[in-house]
Amino acid sequence: MNSATALQIFFSSLNLGSIYAALGLGLFVVYSVTRVLNLAQGEFIMLGGMLTVNFYQVGIPLFVSIVMAIALTILAGLVLYRFFFYPARRSSGATKVFLTLSFAFIVDGIALRVWGWEFRSLPAFFNTQSFQLWGATIFGQTPWVTGITFLMVTGLFLFFGRTIWGKALRACANEPLGARLVGISIERMTLFAFSLAAGLGAAVGALITPLTMTSYSIGLPLTAKGLLAAFVGGITRAEGVVLGGFVYGMIEAVTAGTVPGGYHNVIAPLILAIIFVARRRGLLATSQEG
Amino acid sequence: MKKIVSVVLSAAIVATGMLVSCRKTETTSSYRAGITVAQTGQYAGLGLQTMEGMQLQAEEINSAGGINGVPLQLIIYDDKSEATEATLAAKKLIEVDQVHILAGATATGMSLSLVPVANESKIPTIILTGTTLQDDKLGTWVFRPTGTERSYVTLDLGYLSQTLGISKYAALIENSAFGEGGKAFLPAMSPDYNLTIVEEQYFDPGATDLTPQLTNIRNSEAEAIFLWGGTPTATLAIKQAREMGISLPIVGTPPNVTPDLMKQFGQYFEMEPAFVASTSKFEVWQQLPDTDPDKAKYSDFDGKFIAKYGNPASMWALLGAQFIQFIEDGLKRANAGSLDVVSARSQIRDAFEQTNHLQLYTGVYTMSPQDHFGQTEWRMVLVTFKDGKKLLLP
Repeated sequence: MNSATALQIFFSSLNLGSIYAALGLGLFVVYSVTRVLNLAQGEFIMLGGMLTVNFYQVGIPLFVSIVMAIALTILAGLVLYRFFFYPARRSSGATKVFLTLSFAFIVDGIALRVWGWEFRSLPAFFNTQSFQLWGATIFGQTPWVTGITFLMVTGLFLFFGRTIWGKALRACANEPLGARLVGISIERMTLFAFSLAAGLGAAVGALITPLTMTSYSIGLPLTAKGLLAAFVGGITRAEGVVLGGFVYGMIEAVTAGTVPGGYHNVIAPLILAIIFVARRRGLLATSQEG
Repeated sequence: MKKIVSVVLSAAIVATGMLVSCRKTETTSSYRAGITVAQTGQYAGLGLQTMEGMQLQAEEINSAGGINGVPLQLIIYDDKSEATEATLAAKKLIEVDQVHILAGATATGMSLSLVPVANESKIPTIILTGTTLQDDKLGTWVFRPTGTERSYVTLDLGYLSQTLGISKYAALIENSAFGEGGKAFLPAMSPDYNLTIVEEQYFDPGATDLTPQLTNIRNSEAEAIFLWGGTPTATLAIKQAREMGISLPIVGTPPNVTPDLMKQFGQYFEMEPAFVASTSKFEVWQQLPDTDPDKAKYSDFDGKFIAKYGNPASMWALLGAQFIQFIEDGLKRANAGSLDVVSARSQIRDAFEQTNHLQLYTGVYTMSPQDHFGQTEWRMVLVTFKDGKKLLLP
């Protein structure tokens, strides 16, 4: 392998890694408060992308379209919470996971009716052109994806570590009873977590559409990848989820570029399985967690 | 007491079963064709168009009085682009809907799942695609009146070796059932064209970044890329290759040139050297000379399609219509009573196998016990892209 190939694989890892990290963070936000895996997280990404395309195609400027898409997707997140999650708040975790899955299928079905099955795309932000760097290619949108994801990740860290809302969210996750005793409303925190996850997902959706295209059906496969990434790193910690995203992205990029004969889709999950077996709570989880 | 209850219960169940099955066989006199196509999922784009073509053709047959006076009824299920769903739909069509004929599957994976069901249930079945299905794999009951991939591989490879005069190329293949066809046909047929595959790369349907694979191709001795994939990801490969500055000629297969993909990727298709793909002759019928005998036929179909659906027909719609034509021909010759489903199925199967010199939209078909593909002449062409349009290559 020459250095240009290695560099290309590295950029590809960064690119995929930041997408999976952002995906995992959306899952983490809801999980941290509710201990429930939100299988509709990928739908937020789909909605973010499709709504942005929808608004953009009718002539609304790109960034206004994105803001509108994020707002509407947050609304979808609120619907998921209020009409699916909240009525079942006293049910088992499995029931709640199942409800998020039903919501995902419903959103899928509606999206198909509204937008059809076609794949859609957007121009790269500010029409950034692809460029060459030491023999490797960076697509126009890639710096925006990695850069904005980096900002979102940093923002979330600051939010969880420094703000009272962030600390309250963490308190709900770690000690629900104690949180209630000190006056934190678990319901309100859950509502907030769903909105945050939806908004985050929508932003990711708008970000990756110029790079990967979007269609009504991308949600569930993305959720699956986000889950893998989150569990590899450890879903109980934001750092773990981000690390998991990058590890998963790297495994995908390296195997796609080096494993011959189409076996990369065998080798990549195998590596993940080995990581799971070796560290069953994820790379970053300590033994007390999870 | 318990025994009596169970006897009464089982008698009731048996009686209900008989009533239900009586009702089934007494269904009004019509020929029922059970269809499974992808209406949702990743192959929906192709499946929905196929379905529209089928419905158009069936309506035409029925408004002309049906087949030997019996109307043709289409019962259509969505296979959701999944093999298991296709199998379930097929079983329901065979057992519950009591169809005379089964037809369907939009992509290889789903077609493969229909073949065993068809042969076990002894139901004449027509499949639309099935890249890896060679003659001996169709079995007694399955027919594929669309020819094999050989017709378009021939065109693409001929273009690489004769028009471009190259000898080494890279195969970029999708990790899917459709991709398996590339794995089978390309190494087998390349030597006939003095072509060597110098680099083989694979990508997953749904992959978002193909730069590692494309970098390997760029670093190889390949003088062109043969792209073999049926999902939009395959076309994403063209976009990413051009953005990476890879200026090798790229050739592809019919699923790459559907109108929606052209809309999304047209500008990358047109970047020099422009993408070249094999596709149905129908897709460029307007560019055919007036002396071409197929032109009037295609123009007529396109006109009827636009009148019904408001947009031009694609190759997949044409294939759908062709399916129904094939079914019509078989049913007409079988002239089976529609009420005894089991014996009708076997008569229809025999009639399909005796298809002789049948002129369909994509070629001429003659079936035999040894050949359930039957394509003796085919209607494929090479196209390239310019100004948002497909351009027929001479």
